[in-house]
Amino acid sequence: MAGGEWSHNGVGEDGAVEEEERGSGLRLPLARVKRIMKCDPDLNLASQDAVYLVARATELFVESLVQESYQYTVHSRKKTVSRRDVDNSIEAIEALAFLEGALE
Amino acid sequence: MSVPADQPDDELTIPRAAMNKMIKEILPNVRVANEARELILNCCTEFIHLLSSEANEICNQQQKKTINAEHILKSLDTLGFGDYRAEAEAVLKDCKAMAAKKRRKSTRLENLGIPEEELLRQQQELFAKARQEQMLMQQQEWQMVQAQAAAAQQQQQEQQTIDDDEDYS
Repeated sequence: MAGGEWSHNGVGEDGAVEEEERGSGLRLPLARVKRIMKCDPDLNLASQDAVYLVARATELFVESLVQESYQYTVHSRKKTVSRRDVDNSIEAIEALAFLEGALE
Repeated sequence: MSVPADQPDDELTIPRAAMNKMIKEILPNVRVANEARELILNCCTEFIHLLSSEANEICNQQQKKTINAEHILKSLDTLGFGDYRAEAEAVLKDCKAMAAKKRRKSTRLENLGIPEEELLRQQQELFAKARQEQMLMQQQEWQMVQAQAAAAQQQQQEQQTIDDDEDYS
């Protein structure tokens, strides 16, 4: 099963094992990322590496979105990052166009 | 941190605590409204779906059955997140190291390609060796026990002498 498909972690996969599974400084639990991916019934199996990458990319995504949003916060001279700031970021960045209309 | 078993699959998100921790690291000492956090949380889920779908397509195009790391990396490029690529790849090294460690631990014997008779022979050798070592250990233990018994006896005799002396005072 080396480097194979959706890796199994036995009993309580999404519970206690989530902590261990993080590894290598990831902040997002792999099991959860995997579950989210699996919501798509058409999705092929993914290797452990692939899941790692998705998790890491998502972290980077959060970083970008948060920092971009903060720019708007500063610009509007407010102290709290608001939902509007995030909305503005989504609108402004081309790569984030997929988010428009996908939410709510 | 409990996993919401009741969270229906299509409402699945990254755990809030993990999100909050990340936001705090990115913007320490900055207030972030709950609505903003909620939005970002949902964006993450969408991002995961987007990335996975794209990778899935690339995987199918290559007529592979399993989505691999390269498919994900390629997807980052095509989706306009190419600047994540370098940092994302860095994670792979750690992942590989961990996976290699696991493999070494569990499948060492299976992967050596040694024929069964040879393995059997090696096993017999190991057993013989173990038996010898065990005998040796038992011998040593026995010697120690004997030595201890002798020492104990010695002590008892000395104590006896002292007691005898005390009787006379």
